[in-house]
Amino acid sequence: MTRDNSPITRQKFMEELRRYEKGSITRRHFLGATGLGTAMAVMGGAVPSLLPGRAQAQDLGNRVVLATWPNYHDAANFDRFAEETGVFAQVNVFGSNEEMLAKLQAGGSGWDVFVPTNYAISTYVEADLIEPLDLSRLPNYDAAAFEQRFADAGTIDGTTYAVPKNWGTTGIAFNSSKTGGVVDSWKTFFDGARDQFDGRVMVHDYQLTTIGNALVYFGHSFNSVDPAELADAENLLIDVKPHLFAISSDYQPSMRNGDAWLTMCWTGDGKQMNSDMPEIGFALGREGGEIWSDYYAVPKGAPHREAAYALINYLLDPEVNAREALAHGYPVADSRTNALLPEELLNDPILYPAAESLTPLEFGAAVTLTDPNRAELMARFKSA
Amino acid sequence: MAITQARARALLLTPAGLWYAALLLFPLAVVLIFSFGERNPIGGYAPGFTLEQYANLPARFAAFRNTLTLAPLGTVAALLIAYPLAYYLAIKVSVRWKTTLLILVIVPFWTSILIRSYAWIYLLGGNGIPALLEAFGLGELRLINTPFAVLVGIVYGYLPLMVFPIYVALEKLDKSLLEAASDLGAPPWRSFLQITLPMSMPGVMTGSMLVFILLTGEFLIPAILGGGKVFFVGNALVDLFLQSRNWAFGSAVAVALIVIMLIVVALYTRAVRRFGVRRDDVGLM
Amino acid sequence: MRFYAVAVYGFLYLPIAIIALFSFSAGRSASSMDGFSTGWYVRALSNPFVMEALWTSLKVAFFSAVLATVSGTMAALALTGMKGRLRAIFDVLVMIAVMIPGVVIGIAALIALATAFSAINPWLEVVLGRQLSMGLGTLIGLHGMFTMSLVVLLVRGRLETFDRAQIEASNDLGASPLGTFLQVTLPQIAPAILAGFLLAFTFSFDDFIMAFFVAGSETTLPIYIFSSIRRGVTPEINAIGTMVMVASLTLLIIAQILLRTGTLRAKG
Repeated sequence: MTRDNSPITRQKFMEELRRYEKGSITRRHFLGATGLGTAMAVMGGAVPSLLPGRAQAQDLGNRVVLATWPNYHDAANFDRFAEETGVFAQVNVFGSNEEMLAKLQAGGSGWDVFVPTNYAISTYVEADLIEPLDLSRLPNYDAAAFEQRFADAGTIDGTTYAVPKNWGTTGIAFNSSKTGGVVDSWKTFFDGARDQFDGRVMVHDYQLTTIGNALVYFGHSFNSVDPAELADAENLLIDVKPHLFAISSDYQPSMRNGDAWLTMCWTGDGKQMNSDMPEIGFALGREGGEIWSDYYAVPKGAPHREAAYALINYLLDPEVNAREALAHGYPVADSRTNALLPEELLNDPILYPAAESLTPLEFGAAVTLTDPNRAELMARFKSA
Repeated sequence: MAITQARARALLLTPAGLWYAALLLFPLAVVLIFSFGERNPIGGYAPGFTLEQYANLPARFAAFRNTLTLAPLGTVAALLIAYPLAYYLAIKVSVRWKTTLLILVIVPFWTSILIRSYAWIYLLGGNGIPALLEAFGLGELRLINTPFAVLVGIVYGYLPLMVFPIYVALEKLDKSLLEAASDLGAPPWRSFLQITLPMSMPGVMTGSMLVFILLTGEFLIPAILGGGKVFFVGNALVDLFLQSRNWAFGSAVAVALIVIMLIVVALYTRAVRRFGVRRDDVGLM
Repeated sequence: MRFYAVAVYGFLYLPIAIIALFSFSAGRSASSMDGFSTGWYVRALSNPFVMEALWTSLKVAFFSAVLATVSGTMAALALTGMKGRLRAIFDVLVMIAVMIPGVVIGIAALIALATAFSAINPWLEVVLGRQLSMGLGTLIGLHGMFTMSLVVLLVRGRLETFDRAQIEASNDLGASPLGTFLQVTLPQIAPAILAGFLLAFTFSFDDFIMAFFVAGSETTLPIYIFSSIRRGVTPEINAIGTMVMVASLTLLIIAQILLRTGTLRAKG
């Protein structure tokens, strides 16, 4: 698949970025939250959302199983969904796309909805694990309302397999009262881990970001599968490992209780911690890192397919989505939702960093998920 | 008569036999076959016949090394802590209290090891024992997510398993022997070394063996107290199936682990013969 | 010496006590005590996912223990006094089942069943319109396979120590084999069977690692607790943990009372 090749992705990325940079002069424009057209979209989106839920309430069953990421939803929305449809959502949380893929590959996951990241979707299609979406059953999905670069990975060869959930970045969360200031480079992150932050740094239990950011430290591409560049990353990671606090994608508890001072961090986790504890800040690595978008998708053989569609449709309702965003603090690419969000969230520097800090970021490439060397490197790093 | 008895036996063994065939032998056979196969490019298993996976085993050297150092270390630590307690319970405690105190040892073993292990996240975390030590001016200490934390979890989790067999062995000790030794003027350390210790060896062997076997396959305690940094073979194995999706290599690691356990059991059996442990001393649970 | 014993008991009970203590905290923090409250118990008991996980665990523990006890006892009866190749094979099977780590058994069962299911399912779909998948069945099966081995060991141990002359006497007195079994053998081995059942139940109820692999979409209580503590310990988890421990303790006391007949000691 040509779209897997990182040069093309990078090229495409640059094009899109230029488009965004132009648009970033008027950020509200970029967010698409503009005037009358959006308001109509909101009405158009909100009204039908209630209808299918009610009309089909009888055949939805009473449960739906969602596989998603940590701290990524507003629990109250699931309560409302249960009230409206009688369907209770069971939420399973994962730490990496690899873990999700492994569970689906083994079969019998029992999931109805899962949340793959942009670069993983083509692999699910290739492995025949993901179902083409019947968009007529998702009246709340309005492709035109979504920022294209955060939505296009869901459609492969003209077939839509996944609809956008949120986008975000992978940056650095730091406890400024301990680190003595902003940490905004992977250089400081990895060097500090072996020096002034010894025993206080966490990296993800996730090959894409942990290896990717180690690559970025050397100025390599976040997505590199070049053996020599991967060897650099491995040396760095193995060298840093004894000084790490932990290797885990669930870093919030350790950051909040002060055991960890510095961690690789996704946008929304940064926002959540920052809201509760202002001393915890979030910054993007100056050298680069990841920009990503997550999607809702239905796995092949989902046991409660009707409920799956109902849940996705419900979560795409701009009002519901806005409540989600308020709870989890991840940016939304849906202009209808952004029209409902408070101004300060849309201007939040964690959610919407200055465009130039996004410039060096890269979308993950599909090849990183299937490249055996990256998987094996991560495993060697962990078992070292 | 003999034929019907044989038939009755066969009938009685059928459910167990089918069960073992379906969920023990078949899975182990699959693991063995897969261990000679290849990794599917998108993960999983691709048929093949290669020794590549076994050749790649040194890539998990660290996990095997961790297991084969921390498991014996944990076994010895548990033994050193358990022995005096078992001795106390078997020889010093009055009959009245014996049962109660024994039950108190076994109770933690019967409750979820998951819950008991995570309790140590508190105690070893930054706000637990390290904070206490720091308040006493003993400097900054990091315990959680270290091999030491895993070792504490191991000793804590498996201590009861060590106390019990030693207690059973010491309980059988004829106390008049000790009295005789003391009457003949032997100092206490001498009668301990010459009478008590040899008599308790079967219990020591059994306890050590049980703990060592369980530790070799340990996954949960390193996962909870090791912060993803302290890896046992069990953790490497889980990672290979749940992250790398390398079924072939994972199967080879599993086979290697089983082989190690077989070697340990064989060594144990030899040791048992040397120390003369009788079969009925081995029971616990 | 006594001081030492007290210290070891402190070591054994301190973590448990801390969990129990913090579970009564009124505050949100899981690592400090802010006032007294039973609110987290109410919360845990009204959390549908906790109750569902508990119910799943109880179902799996009960059915796997019943099946393991029945087939394990049958096997133990057959194996006692048996010689030859079949006996040797079963001895090895029991030993392998007990010795191989849970993580290996779990993974092996997962890949074997996943492979088998994906081979069979297209046919089943055509013939029955249904498919096999991981779930309660595989979980009960795997737990039962392991605990059956424990039952075999316990019951066989009991059978080997009791006086076979009683059986011969019963036979000589003209009792049918079934009569002898019910009147003589069963009462003798009943405590071991019961102990085996309780052991099987407790093991299954507490097991995380095998369930982690073969539970499919089912969530048992240990799986729920494990995935919760990954996201940080909460007072609610402490409340659940305390309840689980109290339940285990209660079970243990009941077992003690039931087995007062002195047979517990026979198995150590």
